[in-house]
Amino acid sequence: MSPARSIFDGYDPQGFFDEVIGPTSLVRAHYREVVERLSLLSPEELSRRERLRDRAFRSAGITFTLYGEGDGIERTFPMDLVPRIIPADEWEHIEAGLIQRVTALNQFLDDLYVGERAAVKDKIVPQWLIVSSPGFERHAFGIPVPRGARCLVAGIDIVRDAAGTYRVLEDNLRNPSGISYVLENRAAMTRVLPTLFGSQHIRSVDHYGASLLSALRHVAPAAAGDPTVVVLTPGVFNSAYFEHAFLARQMGVELVEGPDLVVDEHVVFMRTTRGLERVDVIYRRIDDDFLDPVPFRSDSVLGVPGLLAAARAGNVTIANAIGNGVADDKAVYAYVPDLIRYYLNEEPLLPNVDTYILWDEDQRSMCRERLDELVVKPVSASGGYGMMIGPSASDAEIELFRKRIDANPRGYIAQEVVQLSRHPTLVGDHMEGRHIDLRPFVLSGEQVEVIPGGLTRVALRRDSLVVNSSQGGGSKDTWVLSEAPRAQGEAP
Amino acid sequence: MLARHAESLFWTGRYLERAEDTARILDVTYHGLLESPPHEAQQSWLDLLVVLNVEKDFVRRKLPLDASAVSEFLVLDPTAGGAIVSAVGRARENARSVRELVSTEFWEAVNSFYLELQARDLHNDLTQQPYELYGLVKRRCQTVAGVAAETMPRDDGWRFLMLGWMLERAEMTCRLLNVRYSELASVAEVDRFHVLLGVLKSASSSEAFRKVYGASMDPAHLVEFLLLARNIPRSVLYCLRQAEKDLLRLGPADELGPPQRLLGRIRSELEFLDVPELLTDGLHEMLDHIQACVREVANAIAFQYFRNLQVEITPVAFTPAAEPVGPD
Repeated sequence: MSPARSIFDGYDPQGFFDEVIGPTSLVRAHYREVVERLSLLSPEELSRRERLRDRAFRSAGITFTLYGEGDGIERTFPMDLVPRIIPADEWEHIEAGLIQRVTALNQFLDDLYVGERAAVKDKIVPQWLIVSSPGFERHAFGIPVPRGARCLVAGIDIVRDAAGTYRVLEDNLRNPSGISYVLENRAAMTRVLPTLFGSQHIRSVDHYGASLLSALRHVAPAAAGDPTVVVLTPGVFNSAYFEHAFLARQMGVELVEGPDLVVDEHVVFMRTTRGLERVDVIYRRIDDDFLDPVPFRSDSVLGVPGLLAAARAGNVTIANAIGNGVADDKAVYAYVPDLIRYYLNEEPLLPNVDTYILWDEDQRSMCRERLDELVVKPVSASGGYGMMIGPSASDAEIELFRKRIDANPRGYIAQEVVQLSRHPTLVGDHMEGRHIDLRPFVLSGEQVEVIPGGLTRVALRRDSLVVNSSQGGGSKDTWVLSEAPRAQGEAP
Repeated sequence: MLARHAESLFWTGRYLERAEDTARILDVTYHGLLESPPHEAQQSWLDLLVVLNVEKDFVRRKLPLDASAVSEFLVLDPTAGGAIVSAVGRARENARSVRELVSTEFWEAVNSFYLELQARDLHNDLTQQPYELYGLVKRRCQTVAGVAAETMPRDDGWRFLMLGWMLERAEMTCRLLNVRYSELASVAEVDRFHVLLGVLKSASSSEAFRKVYGASMDPAHLVEFLLLARNIPRSVLYCLRQAEKDLLRLGPADELGPPQRLLGRIRSELEFLDVPELLTDGLHEMLDHIQACVREVANAIAFQYFRNLQVEITPVAFTPAAEPVGPD
């Protein structure tokens, strides 16, 4: 039974891998209930719900800042009303793959900075590649991280290709952001479209604050009995300030700025109205370069003089660890499958996107001829900056990148274009397919743990492959289904 | 709580009160002078600048000493710290830096106040409707105070906010008395009513005054009322008593710190004051003395709570425990 006019009328997957519509044009089983319930809502009703959503986000102050003119403009990060659903068996596979990957990356970083550098000695990764990485940090040598949890919070970007295979697109091991949207999206969905949740058992995400706090307490220096944890932010003018404050609130800990902390005799304190209070764990949302003006940028006013020496003395734990950038270098990324095999003696569960390293002469000459079919990315940038998408690039642009690659083959990688999967997304009064990706969040505490789902980003512009918030990207609430049916009367 | 947060809350309160009181003082001066000859008005404007402690800044700007220049200066001048627009802007900046500690309603009240001032044509307001503008500032400040009282938890953050609020008000009430009292004492009895009423209105206290003193036009009563009334929220003693209550709660619990001692001293000095004696001995000196003490209390608060370090912080040179050994 379907109403006279459905918002799905005329929807066409256009040959892409569609998350909702299967190959035989039927709605995939795990989406059936949501599609049915969505179809019951008229386009007018849906736009009313969209207004409700906008109000909820604005009044909660869930905004990011676009810089440029004077004060900066605060925008909301638009959440599409159609949720993305991942069935239990697919999630089980993703989760296992993420745990495996982050476990290996933690071991790799610990091996590099406080270990024997076995992966280098055994020639799994070339030494020159490590030391030439912009994210490689000499000052991190000898700084211990209890239990080797160097990537305490990792955000691993996953895409789904034309065959429906989940692949890792990039690792974010420094300061991945976006978790606040995951939690706020879910909160908004339960208020704006409560009927959509239906009878399915959707795994909750709201324990994130508690899990993060327990992971942070877990990596406290051994001497700290009841460790004090703080969140360190660059301050209110940072574009992710909302998230920093959100996380401090979720964990019930202080949100501090650099000048709130002082180091005395290699011990870190925060300045309170009742005097100095010792700090044991710092969840910092400041880049390495700004953390401590003594070894790093002396012009930084965001950091804390002496912080690194305190960490080296084992009196405070900094999370995420310093120097993680070497492991999310996009050229090192190409070696992650080998690192998994090396450290864990397992086959990688989640494949990489096919990647070419350009200092290898054979691969480079092949890529030079195929630049119009490939994606070229600088190795240390993130957020889609400075990349070239061959099929949509002009001849001049391709020529420019060819020159750049020749001049600095270490500075770039080339990848096969991935036709990202698409997902029906509300556009005006009907559905259109839009490309999506997924950033799950992985915590390394007592064990490595993945928050069910993650941030699904959606390229709101038609045919765009760019999902970044600054370039017209939006998000979707992401549901991971549990096998267990929900008990009667249990809240979604 | 973090020292920085406490300091921001303290200044949020101070700047909001400063904006409100500046509006009150401007209001009463402006409307009191409408019927005065120009040379008298000039002296009054100068007196006003002196008690607000901004006369040097004003002179440096080489502005004419008249109603419109002084009003513009005290409402709009971005370099005058007490000017209403910049006080509200600073209150907002401070509130913004503790956005996570104050209630959403409080932040929104402060922010929308600021945005409304930004959106208005204040030059036009000042030439056409100064009364309306000052009324708006007073109402908005009172709204913010009411929202704070209704939505903020009574924790240390609240106490620092109120502490700033009350100390600023105590100081500004002294200033208000200072600027108008000499005139009050010198004018002929018939004009007194006008001046007295103006001062009381600017302190939102004319009805309360009437209830206590009936039709009195005795300047001594006015001084007694605005300085020493225990139940009038704009009287100096009331403000100091409130501030003292918050300070004692802030601790330390088992001893009096310098801020508590200093505040207790000036509060008891006021409580044992003899008004007729004060009026013969010199009200101005006493008002200046109270203001100086309040400033001392504020300094002691900053030292005790905002910059309380306990240890000498010397820059730590970077001395790695072990020489970095890289794979290069």
